[in-house]
Amino acid sequence: MTASPFANLNRRQLLQLAALVGGSAALAACGGPAVGQAGGAATETATDWASVTPAKEITWWSNHPGTSKDIESEIIKRFTAESGIKVNLVTAGANYDEVAQKFQAASGSSNVPDLVIASDVWWFRYMINGQILPLDQLAKHLEFDTEDFNSTLYGDYEFSASHWAVPYARSTPLFYYNKAVWEKAGLPDRAPKTWAEFDEWAPKIQATTEITPLGLGKGTSWSAWWFCNMLWGAGGAYSKDWAMTLDTPEALEAAKYLQTIIYDNKSAAVTAKDQVADFGAGLTGCTIASTGSLSGILASSKFDVGTGFLPEGAKGPACPTGGTGLAIPADKTPEQQLAAGMFLKFLTNAENTAYFSSNTGYMPVRTSALEGETMKAVYAKTPQFRTAVDQLAGTRVQDWGRVFVPNGDKDLTTALEKIMLQKGDPAEAFATAATSITKSYEENVLPYL
Amino acid sequence: MPRPTPGEQDQNPVVQRKRRTPWKSWLLFLLFAGPNVALLVIFTYKPLVQSLQYSLLQWNIGSATARFIGLDNYVNWFTDPATANVVRVTVIFTLVTVVGGMVLGLSLALLLNRKLRGTGMARTVVVAPYVLSGVAVGLLWLFVFDPNFGVLGAVLKSVGLGSPDWYNDPAWALPMIIVVYLWKNVGYVALIYLAALQAVPKDLIEAATLDGAGPFANFRNVVLPLLGPTTFFLSVTTLLSSLQSFDIIQAMTKGGPLEGTTTMMYQIYQEGFATGRAGYSSAIATVLFFVLLVVTAVQMLFIQKKVHY
Repeated sequence: MTASPFANLNRRQLLQLAALVGGSAALAACGGPAVGQAGGAATETATDWASVTPAKEITWWSNHPGTSKDIESEIIKRFTAESGIKVNLVTAGANYDEVAQKFQAASGSSNVPDLVIASDVWWFRYMINGQILPLDQLAKHLEFDTEDFNSTLYGDYEFSASHWAVPYARSTPLFYYNKAVWEKAGLPDRAPKTWAEFDEWAPKIQATTEITPLGLGKGTSWSAWWFCNMLWGAGGAYSKDWAMTLDTPEALEAAKYLQTIIYDNKSAAVTAKDQVADFGAGLTGCTIASTGSLSGILASSKFDVGTGFLPEGAKGPACPTGGTGLAIPADKTPEQQLAAGMFLKFLTNAENTAYFSSNTGYMPVRTSALEGETMKAVYAKTPQFRTAVDQLAGTRVQDWGRVFVPNGDKDLTTALEKIMLQKGDPAEAFATAATSITKSYEENVLPYL
Repeated sequence: MPRPTPGEQDQNPVVQRKRRTPWKSWLLFLLFAGPNVALLVIFTYKPLVQSLQYSLLQWNIGSATARFIGLDNYVNWFTDPATANVVRVTVIFTLVTVVGGMVLGLSLALLLNRKLRGTGMARTVVVAPYVLSGVAVGLLWLFVFDPNFGVLGAVLKSVGLGSPDWYNDPAWALPMIIVVYLWKNVGYVALIYLAALQAVPKDLIEAATLDGAGPFANFRNVVLPLLGPTTFFLSVTTLLSSLQSFDIIQAMTKGGPLEGTTTMMYQIYQEGFATGRAGYSSAIATVLFFVLLVVTAVQMLFIQKKVHY
């Protein structure tokens, strides 16, 4: 048996150990957050932008939404040719979450970029952490035509009378259906207008084919997003401002409807891995996927694909927006921020918006780009894209409880998985999520507002 | 004058000064050990102390400010209803992967220790998964387990069985992760056991055989005790590795479904980076650190007694 290594320490060894621990503690004191000081969002500083000279080089962290690295590189090339400012495009992650995690971890270091992807569930956290710049003054100086942005998409980034990002790769959920399956079942060539109509159609699909009529996706940043459609359509909501409203009869009704189509009617099934792949492989007759998946679905499916608005609930149509915007970090120099602002203006002008949308399938974020020549050519070639664009008019800003509270989406996903995968009691699952989200709001949001 | 006894010599101040380490030796020590010590302090001890410090804060990662909240993060973790599930998953995953890995690794090592044709090739095949990236292994096995398109599903279908719902049922997701973890890491255990088996003195086995011991008795009474130090070493290293497992879980299930594969290590990552609660995450990391410390100390105190011969 070996005795404890600390049992026979002499005075000198004890001092050495103390020095090591003390040294580490002293080192640990360097860096990290300032304890006890007031935090919160950055404020509009009175920067005289007219007197600032833009930096010659900036860095942009992106995950290239919609496999857009070549598109982004091309826009950068055009911008550099016009302005002389070099933009370093960095692949900072495979998805929005990875970019966000890297951006948060880099905070306070010299590795923060000049422009960063800010998704619908992350920009608010950037804001309350004081990591991003309110853009209104800079936009005004640059004569950035923000009025031309789709009002819902631009309004998504508004809080405390400031805008903290601008829309970039924005999307909505969309209803996709297999036209061959529809034809075999004798259904009209369109998406069901309501969930009640889907319930009438599903038995016809089940009677004429062996596939599951509807494939549903799962996982964080996804389940709680598309479920907005059923929830809002039933008249419910995740929250009203910061108060969770998951205990309302409407919210519970929406969850029960979800269980009905999965367990009673067996007209819907939750995917094992990827509902888009299942749909493309012909395992399901229809599915709900992002508009950003449109190009991929059309390319990979061996059958004609139809698209339609998400079905309406008893209380009418309901569709959330999603995707990502772009934000400028707060702790960069005014020169870098100005150069980033100039690039942001260029990247989201009408021409580049149409160029980006036509190549990726994401929504054109500017109203002037919607009916431009580029987009008209896209609609002519791919009529399904028009449906996605038209649905944009009926979208609404997401509930704060999901997108603004750090673990909001995760807790709601867990609740929905209990409901979908284990036929859990909706009231119990939602109550657990509501308690956790409320606690997280009080601890992680409220002190920073 | 009589010569001083050793005890008296130690008390002589002149002799004590002579015994002091010369400054050149200190310089040499600093030259060789300094960089390593500096790296250890910066990358191991500093984060360790810093993590302890952060665990007492309410801190959103990314924010430049934080609030001191004492032990609230610890209280919150121990009273959180989700904690029991995380601990359950961690214990099951660790026990099965450590014990299963040791048993499978030893079995493989015994097979590979035999002088048969192709053992060289077999040794390479067994060890190869260990050197592969965990993420690559996870992505590869995702295809194997896929109920709709995977090889496993096809094999089960060919014998009239349906595929378990590996990705949607927590009761199946955890075994799936354990199987993949064992597949990747069992080669390491086999490799170390194989080296130990080859060091077992042949004369001891021959002597036992002459005394009438059969193969099983030889293994149980001669080989297994001689493998004691190796078993102890492996029990410590595989336990630490298992408790710190992350890559396969991240690549395959991201802790789901329904947190059915969320271990303490994965929860630390999720809370720290996905949820952004750096203080809470640090508190869990500190708890895990002390669990590892206690388990390792217990192993050293109680198991080491039985493995020295």
